[in-house]
Formats: sequence, structure tokens, C-alpha cells
Amino acid sequence: MIRSIGIVGAGVAGWMAALALRRALPGARISVIETEGPDWSLGPFGPGEASLPGLESWLADHGVEEGALLRAARGGFSLGTAFSGWAGQEADWFLPFGTIGAPIGTVAFHQLAARLRAAGHPLRLADFSLAAIAAASGRFARPSPDPRSVLSSYGYGLHFARAGLAEVLRLASGLATAGRFRRALGDAGITAIEIEDGAQVSADLWLDCSGPAALLAGRLDSGWESWSEWLPCDRAVESWNEVEGVPPPYAHAGAFEGGWQRTVPLVGGQSGALLYASAFLAEQPGAVPIAQGRRTRAWTGNVVALGAAAALVEPLHGHNLALLQNALTRLISLLPTAPDGPEPAEYNRLTASEADRVRDFAILHYKTNGRAGDPLWDQARAMPVPETLAHKLDLYASRGRLPVYDEELFDPEEWIAVLDGQGVRPRRHDALADAIPEPQLRAHASRIREVIVDAVRGMPHHGATLREEGLLA
Amino acid sequence: MTAPAPIRSIVIVGGGTAGWMAAAALTRLIPAGVSVTLVESDEIATVGVGEATIPPIRSFNALLGIDENDFLAKTQGTIKLGIEFVNWTRDQHRYVHPFGEFGFDIEGVKFHQVWRKLREAGRAEAIDAYNVCALAMTAGRYQPPVTDPGSILSRMAHAYQFDAGLYAKYLRGYAEDRGVVRIEGKVAHVPLRAADGFIEAVILEGDRRIEGELFIDCTGFRALLIEQTLHTGWESWAHWLQCDRAVAVPSASPGPEITPFTRATAHSAGWQWRIPLQHRVGNGHVYCSADISDDAARETLLANLDGAPLRDPFILRFEAGRRKRAWERNCIALGLSSGFLEPLESTSIHLIQSGIHKLMALLPDTGFSAIERDEYNRLTDIQLEQVRDFIILHYHANQRSDGDLWRRMREMAIPDTLRRKLDLFRNRGRFFRYEDELFAESSWIAVLLGQGILPQGWDPLADAFDDDKLAFSLSRIHEMFARAAQAMPRHEDWLARNAPARTP
Repeated sequence: MIRSIGIVGAGVAGWMAALALRRALPGARISVIETEGPDWSLGPFGPGEASLPGLESWLADHGVEEGALLRAARGGFSLGTAFSGWAGQEADWFLPFGTIGAPIGTVAFHQLAARLRAAGHPLRLADFSLAAIAAASGRFARPSPDPRSVLSSYGYGLHFARAGLAEVLRLASGLATAGRFRRALGDAGITAIEIEDGAQVSADLWLDCSGPAALLAGRLDSGWESWSEWLPCDRAVESWNEVEGVPPPYAHAGAFEGGWQRTVPLVGGQSGALLYASAFLAEQPGAVPIAQGRRTRAWTGNVVALGAAAALVEPLHGHNLALLQNALTRLISLLPTAPDGPEPAEYNRLTASEADRVRDFAILHYKTNGRAGDPLWDQARAMPVPETLAHKLDLYASRGRLPVYDEELFDPEEWIAVLDGQGVRPRRHDALADAIPEPQLRAHASRIREVIVDAVRGMPHHGATLREEGLLA
Repeated sequence: MTAPAPIRSIVIVGGGTAGWMAAAALTRLIPAGVSVTLVESDEIATVGVGEATIPPIRSFNALLGIDENDFLAKTQGTIKLGIEFVNWTRDQHRYVHPFGEFGFDIEGVKFHQVWRKLREAGRAEAIDAYNVCALAMTAGRYQPPVTDPGSILSRMAHAYQFDAGLYAKYLRGYAEDRGVVRIEGKVAHVPLRAADGFIEAVILEGDRRIEGELFIDCTGFRALLIEQTLHTGWESWAHWLQCDRAVAVPSASPGPEITPFTRATAHSAGWQWRIPLQHRVGNGHVYCSADISDDAARETLLANLDGAPLRDPFILRFEAGRRKRAWERNCIALGLSSGFLEPLESTSIHLIQSGIHKLMALLPDTGFSAIERDEYNRLTDIQLEQVRDFIILHYHANQRSDGDLWRRMREMAIPDTLRRKLDLFRNRGRFFRYEDELFAESSWIAVLLGQGILPQGWDPLADAFDDDKLAFSLSRIHEMFARAAQAMPRHEDWLARNAPARTP
């Protein structure tokens, strides 16, 4: 039985874990221990963080009010991510949160789009997404709960400063830090942590939320699988730029010769992270090395690694928070009752698959890039990829289908949006799309477009929504 | 590079359930210029063990636009709300595997976890008391489910029991109306292309030649194309599922009552199915020929009927297992030619349906790239293995004292995938579904609990709730469900009013 839990790392990961476990195990003693340095519990990817749709309901379930969080964390809303320079030096595309187009019967929209393209009608998938069009015109309102309305066809993520997020999570947990980390004690497992005043903190189960340093998991035989052969960026530089005005309702990932730049817009400024490959770009000021990969066994003995201590994948999307959220849910459902139970093995199996699927999604952006003539990107296009991803790419290229594996964080629609944005075109479309007459297809596409454009016209600007909620002066 | 031309002609070999289900679904391609031909011979008998189904069949019928009542009326069909397992755990024991969900989750905690906790305190009924399908089936009642999530009836799910021969006939009419060409004849010879060993055509007795680009093997156990012609190979699962024969017989209905469920009764060397239709009852005894003679198996069957037999019992021989590749070259095996699992959980028709669904999604072009084939085979393997594990569970987790078969089943090494599931559930009632599993959590829970595997503990989140409040919630759920079940019409009355069988 777990009676006490120790959490090392008082950042976003640590406080999110504290809040989740406080709720799940009201009787347990939870000790949160601070560590040195900036909060890299989700990786050194900038002072701002982005979430995928789904975090808002987790927050609500855990007593965190969305408006209060955004106020404390200079936050705003997000409808997706704009990618520039990936499909080609001058090309850009948008990955929206929400559906793209609508099927006819059982024939998916991208199959209909392929048929229209084959008939000589070029189109962009994002033009049939409400989230993409609203983002492009700087508008935001929360989705409608009415499933019949087109305003229910999208979701939203949040942008926030990680310090503000950590503080709000801490307040919701009702806990204070137990002290500052000095060293871990114990050989086979962790028996206790010595804190700065020399006192010792003990616990039945330890959560390592200390980021890439992995102060606890790194001491145990937990293994590490490197993904550097597929994800070439090995340096990160965090930045913050003061900017006045209304932040756009989407994040930006801009590729250049040596890597890419992430921008998460917040109220009053932009959080930046420069990710690059040191073999292709000279050392940049403020750079820290990053090792992308995952722990072989995130749960080893009495230590569970969470966040960047468990897996580090560059932040092309808001997956780092989502992985943490899912890991906590999984951990709580598998809290052990006996020392040698089957739970850690099951936890590790699921956690590893989920991380591997996110890895594949990240590699996809490199493998399908269109930056001809840039050595880093030429090399990425030519590289062999993991078999699971190769199978996906082959099947998509052949006929626009995507196999789904266990524990996928990103759904097939998102994969297709990326593939299509990068310019990958299947050789053949769904035969059922050929059974639909072309005029019917064209009418279907223009109707969707009209309905969406009409709905976006009626939406408030992002700035107006932020002001109404007291998030922007 | 120009892409290879799309498929323009599909030939289905073999009628029966698999052949006509495929033909009916493939009619959707006809407007795109694809020809669909089905070759069958009236002289070849079809195997009709799969007369009971599971809820996904409703989506297959819906895809075709079939009216439920019309279809029930023309197939002697009845409603199925679940399966009753008699004597499986031990003699004189009974449990049900109902369709539909148990209770309601409470603040994100699974219902079965809350139930487990209260059960420990002696404050919860058997879990069936919290499933509306289980209550309705036991009461012999039925009412169609509704989609309004606020209604208790939305917690229901149903499938059908029907005469598979009539179902095939029904689909034949549907398919022929929409342009499928049926050719009567027996296949004499299957020539292969010299270049790549693909099937070139099927040649019928009397030398009629039927050319095609894609061939679908629905020839049942004979596997005329996939095995006799292409020699694809068979993987046996007989070490786990040792029953290798069935003796089957229809019997007269015992009275006006028609049970809205299938019954599976364990015997010393196997088990017996009972599938009620509108006009009669289908029965069969699945057994292990190493443990019992055919004569003794037939006697057991006849001794356990609840109505007079309507013909002489007939024997079927089979082996549990799968074709090594359900899709080989330009041939796809559907139904018994692709694999066999005994009808304990009524999955035969579903496996056909799911094969068709995958085929439509992965329809090849004339280039027949390995990519689609490999994906089809990968998905088929995963699904068959999951169903296999679920069936093995019924045999493995038994406490029966009679018969060597049951001892062997208890003691055998089971697949790792099933072992992990059992360990997690036994420990604390935890459950993780694998990718796209056919049987949902509630099905596994019904059978795990039914077979006597009570988790040792429960989700610690359930401890955060107050026992008195929980007990009150559970008794309210039970009352609501029981009231809803009692308010439904009797199943046979509902059938008589909405879908009375007509002589076709």
C-alpha cells in the first residue's frame, strides 16, 4: 500500500503530479522537493508552454479554473500550429485543432479531396477547417457544445507561462515544498532524500520530475533509448521577447537551414525555443545540449520518471504536457498493492508505446520535409525511419490510409494533415470516392467552405475574447 | 510514373454467408465501374454454425441500408441481448455475458471498481444486477435501444440470432438487385499466371472460364483458392483450443417463449450451444474427439434438447487456427477459409464483416503492392488473436471437476497477451484494452467475473467515496435498470408485433 509519495522537482511536472495524486490518494503524505535551476521538467523549450485539446477538462476536474490559470500565466487560447519552411523553403501549412472537412457516407474528406485534385481542382485541406480559418483571421471563441453546430467542429489548446502554470497547480494542490534537494540516498532503490537543512525525507514511491537531469531515475538501472539518429536537433536555446498587443491564437514552428524555431505567443511577449543540430550550425549563445529519447523503463523499482525525465521529444506540438497528463492517469490506475505485482511492467509497456508513437510523429516532420539543398534536411529525407513509421508512410503513400497502433496520442486526421501539408500525395485514392459523381463532390466542398467562412465571420477576435475574460488590458 | 490501373473485376468464389456478405458490401463499388461476380454451386452444402451474432453486425446492416424488422422477418430472426453460460465455471453455476455496459462510472472511477469495493463489504448484488441487458434477458424481455444518452435504454446493445442460410439468401437478393452477377457452377480448375503465380481465372466444370483481377475465397473449410491453389499454409491453435468436432441438430421450439439470448452449456468433453430462432431452435455440441466418441457426443446433444429433434444430427470437423496469410497474391480468404474459432462468442459472422471492412479500406489496384496486403494481414492477425484469447479464457478459468479436458485447459500455458490481462485483473480489477479490441471492457469483465476471477483489490480511487452513498447509488441504479427491464414487452410479443417471420 502506498502511504507516502515523494516528488523531486517543483516545476510544472512536479506540481501537476502532486495535484493529481493529492486527489487520487487523499490519505497519502506527499512531499515535493525543489531542485536547482530553471524548470525544465518538460524540457528546456522556452518559458512558455502549449497544450493540446484535453488539458482544459483535466484542469477543470482538478479544481483549476481556466480563466484564473490564464490570468496567472499570461495565457491565451490556441487553435493549432503554423508550420513554415518545412514543406519547402517558402512553403507553409497549418495543423488545426479539430476536424477538416466532412466525409460523404464512409468516404473520408481527404479521399474526396484527392479525387477532386485528380480531376484538376487544387485545394488545401486547412481551407476546410474552422480552426485553421479562425486562426488565420485572429478570431477565437470557445467551441459550441451543440454537436449539430459547425462551431462544435474544433477544439482548443492553451498557451501559458510555465512558471504561472506551476504556481496555479501548486495552489490547487494545497501543498508547500518540503525543502531543497541535496542528494538521494539508497543504492538499489531510493530510500530517502537528504534536503538542504540535512533532514531526510522518506517515501514509499518516488516521482522523478527533475527534467532531463533525472536525479533519481538516472541513478537506477532504468535504461535510455536515444532517438538522435532520427531527430537531429541536439541543442536548445530558450528566449523571451517582450511584445505588445494581442497574441495570435496559434503557435509557430519555423524551420531554417540548421533546425527550427518554436514560438508560443503569450500576453505581453513571445516564448521562444531555438532547436538546432550542432553538426550543421555553429554553437549559439545560451545553448544547452538535449538528448532526445526515452527511458527504457520509466518505472524502475520505487521510482517513476515523469515528463522530460521519462522522455524528451522536441516540442513540435503540445505533446509534452499531454504525455505527462496521460502518464499520471495511467500511474494512478496502476498504483501497486504488492511489491512484485504486474503493474510496473504494464505501465512501462504502455508508456513506452505512447512515447514511441509521438517519436514517430515528430520524425514524420523531418522525413517528409521539402527543403532541398539544405544538408541537414536532405539527410533527414534520406534517412531510414523506424519500421512502425515506415509502414505508415508506405500505406499512406500507396492509398491515403493510415494504420493505427496502440497508444497513439495523435489521431489519423492529424497525421493526414501533416502529411498533406508536407506535400505527400497518395498514389491512389479510395475507390469508393470514384463512385460519387464529381459535381456532387464539388458542391459538397463548396458548401463546407461557405458554412465555415460564415461561422468564422460571426466569431469575436481573439483580443476581444481575452479582454472580455480580463486576460488583456 | 503512372499508377497501376484500378481493379475492375472482382470474383467471389463460394456463396454462403461469407460470399453473399462480401457481394452485398462490394455492390458499393459497382457505380465506380467495378464488376462483381459470384460463383457458387447449389450442390455444395454450406456450414451454418454461426447463427448467432454480436452487436457490430448492426453497423454492417446499416451500411447496406437494411431495415431491421424486414431482415428479422425474412431470416426467422430473433434478438440477442447476450450469452448465458451454464456450468462453465463449475457444475450448477450460471453467469451471463450481456451486451451493453455495467452501471455508470462514478466520478471517473470505473463502475466495476466501485462494485468490487462494495461487494467486499457485502453491500452489492451480483454484477448482473447492474446491467440492463442482463436483467432484460433473464426476464425474457426486449425493447429497442435509444440514442438519447440520458435514457437507461441507451445502455443497451443488441445483436441477432438468425438462420444463416436465409441471411445469405436475403443478401443474395440485395446483391443481385444491385448488379452482382451470380454464376452457377462448380470450380474444376484454377490456372495461375506464369509470371507471378497470381490467379488468372477460375474454370468451371464444363469449361466455362471466369476471369478476374481480385479473387475472394469464400469456399469455407475447403479453402479452394487460398490453400488448395496457393498453398498459403495453416497455423494450428489446437494446443489451446482442443475441441475439433461439433454435432449439430435443429429442434422444435419448446413453447411460445423465445429467449432473447444464446445459451452455452459446458459438458464433460465440450459444450453445447442453443440458439433460438422464431420457428425452431439451433443446437450443437462442440467436443474434443480425444475425450469422447462421436456416438456419445450425439447422445449428450440429444439428451440436452428442450424440444424434439427435427432431423438426424450431423457432424462437422474442424481445427482451431488461422491461415498464415488471409491475403495472398490476388486472393483474399473470408470466413472459414481464413481461420476457425469455435462459435463460443458468436464471432464467425463478425470476422467476415471485419474482413470485408478491411478489404474496402485497403482495396488494392492491379499493381497489388505488398503494402496493403501486409496491413490487411497484420490487422487480421491481431483481431483473430484477440478473439482467440477471449475464447481461451472461458476454458482456462474453470473449476470443473469432471473430464480430463477441463483439467488440461486449467493447467495449460496460455498466450502471453492473455496472461498479462489475467494478472492485471486478478490483482486489482485493472483492465487495459489492446488496439481496436472487438470485445469491450464490459465483455471481458462479465466473463472474468463469471468464470470466478474476482479481483483481490480495487482501484484506490474508489476508497475516496463514502460507502453509504455508494451503496445508495448502486441500489438506485439497480432499481432503475430493473424497472426499465420489467417495463419492456416480452421478446416474443415484440417479435410478433414488429418482425413476424414470413415464409420467404
